[in-house]
Amino acid sequence: MRSNIAIAATLLALAGYIFWAASALPFGTVRVPQTAFFPKTLALLLAILSFILLIQALAGTETSRSSEKIDTAGWFRIGATLATLAGFALVLEPLGYLVTTFLLMVLLLRAIEAQSWRKIIVVALATALISYAIFAWLLGVPLPSGVLGV
Amino acid sequence: MFPFPPGFWGSRVDLLANVGLGFSVALMPANLLFCFLGTLVGTLVGVLPGLGPVGAVAFLLSLTFKMEPSSAIIMLAGIYYGAMYGGSTTSILVNIPGETASVVTCLDGYRMARQGRAGAALGMAAFGSFIAGTFGVIGLMFLAPLLGRAALSFGPPEFFALTLTGLTLVAYLTQGSMIKALIMATLGLLAGIVGMDPISGIERFTYGTLTLRDGFGLVPVAMGLFGVAEVLENLAHIGSQSIYETKIKGLLPNLKDWKDSAKPIARGSLLGFFLGILPGPGPVIASFVSYAMEKRLSRYPEKFGTGVIEGVAGPEAANNAATAGSFIPLLSLGIPTNAIMALFMGALMIHGIQPGPLFIAKYPELFWGFIASMYVGNAMLLVLNLPLIGMWVRVLKTPYGILCPLILLFCLIGVYSLNANVVEITIMLAFGIGGFFMRRLGFEGAPFILALVLGPIMETSLRQSLLISRGNFGIFINRPICAVLIVLTAAFLIWPVVRPKKRGELTTESGG
Repeated sequence: MRSNIAIAATLLALAGYIFWAASALPFGTVRVPQTAFFPKTLALLLAILSFILLIQALAGTETSRSSEKIDTAGWFRIGATLATLAGFALVLEPLGYLVTTFLLMVLLLRAIEAQSWRKIIVVALATALISYAIFAWLLGVPLPSGVLGV
Repeated sequence: MFPFPPGFWGSRVDLLANVGLGFSVALMPANLLFCFLGTLVGTLVGVLPGLGPVGAVAFLLSLTFKMEPSSAIIMLAGIYYGAMYGGSTTSILVNIPGETASVVTCLDGYRMARQGRAGAALGMAAFGSFIAGTFGVIGLMFLAPLLGRAALSFGPPEFFALTLTGLTLVAYLTQGSMIKALIMATLGLLAGIVGMDPISGIERFTYGTLTLRDGFGLVPVAMGLFGVAEVLENLAHIGSQSIYETKIKGLLPNLKDWKDSAKPIARGSLLGFFLGILPGPGPVIASFVSYAMEKRLSRYPEKFGTGVIEGVAGPEAANNAATAGSFIPLLSLGIPTNAIMALFMGALMIHGIQPGPLFIAKYPELFWGFIASMYVGNAMLLVLNLPLIGMWVRVLKTPYGILCPLILLFCLIGVYSLNANVVEITIMLAFGIGGFFMRRLGFEGAPFILALVLGPIMETSLRQSLLISRGNFGIFINRPICAVLIVLTAAFLIWPVVRPKKRGELTTESGG
């Protein structure tokens, strides 16, 4: 499995990085272990486990279950959804909860399984208002007010 | 083995008084409401294939901060065992397991439904779950205080050994590759060191950010790994599922069904309860083992998979008893054994309550209220599930195009509402993307989240042990309980190497 070799190599590099980065912290001794003791131990453990995975992958004994193939449309849905979610994090505070949630729902409803525009507007509007009512009023969660000032 | 103090076993009067106290807490109107909400949400996520109980508990965790601690854990527990009920409904009616513990229920349950016996299957699943759930709660009630009192004599070496054994066992029991599960557990422990050193307070791997000073939050990580990653997985395969219409006639199993199911339910309850105590996905394993066992004990094993009621009753009883059993290590030792228990621990600690050997003695109203609420909740579920099955089936038909955006929105609000910190949304997304790709490569999220929670306990107890022993690792084998745990850990690690064919046998054997 080529993917297993790649991931084992990445994990080995990660283990090396953690070991190196933890060197800046005090290790103490085995008698009086300090801050870097546990991270370095774990980095070593990770290196050993990744090495075993690498050996297994090279020897072909590690049979990883093959996950179902994702088609282009599937990747597009995933990409569009992630971009929308990242956008939500970016504009939530400047635009406020109501506007951002409305936009989020419109984009997701469009990207995941194209609904009719009427349905999109109705569902997005209802979700934004109802969720605001539940979270802000009923549960007292502080949500950003943004441009609308509510 | 343990020095038993006088009155160790308690007295019958104590138990009655405690149960009375418990019901007085559980029957308070607010707690009844939260119990109902929990079981309702639990059934909902059990029915909906897009979101599992871990994601649902993670989401509602942020809403429990302002509640009374007793209401919080009553509601969260309701979600957990509610999901076990709801999951079976969809397995039987449409052959879609709402969550993994109901996968085996599809085998015979769906066949029964196609033969027009959906009602008997649903009814027996609900009654079996109710009986096993009640049995599990009784077991929890007796065993947790006992174990908690025994654990009072545990020191840092025992706790280190317990966490080590727990994580190894989770990896051993995984359905995929053990080495990959061990890697995920190590990565989880590494994620757990981010933030302040629990002993000295020195910052580690925070890169100067304020958000990471307290480490990775449990909720953003859990929502990422179990909420966002699951939705992404579903997005990849939209439109590949079809739903069959099934008529439901009469929900009551007949006398023969009861006769056939009595023993499987009894065996499933016992088996599930004890498997639930062990670390790992207790309910999932319990249901598989129960199915395999019933098939082996049956006089007509060849009929399994064609719609025999034992194949529904046993596993359904087992997974519900296991949910009760899995609370034992958390409430008596302070050691969570699966992802949901890790979230429970988070919920308790937010309220300043440390689960562990002293938990039951210090917070009797919390423990007994929680126990009593599980009796109440099990009864509520029976009412929620049997007459309302039609409604749940309609919920199941919500198109993915609408369901996925709603789940994602809940994840976003759930994380943001914790600390009103947008950075935590980014953390959730990062773990969502990472979790999605890791899962495709065969790396599961459960060992990671468990290790993330166990990490600080493990590090503190390891360092304290070495301080006590002046750097002598012999402390872990000189103490009897420790030695047993370390030997067990070694056995779990060595066994698959000695017998490599063992992995995956559980699934193939019972899947046939």
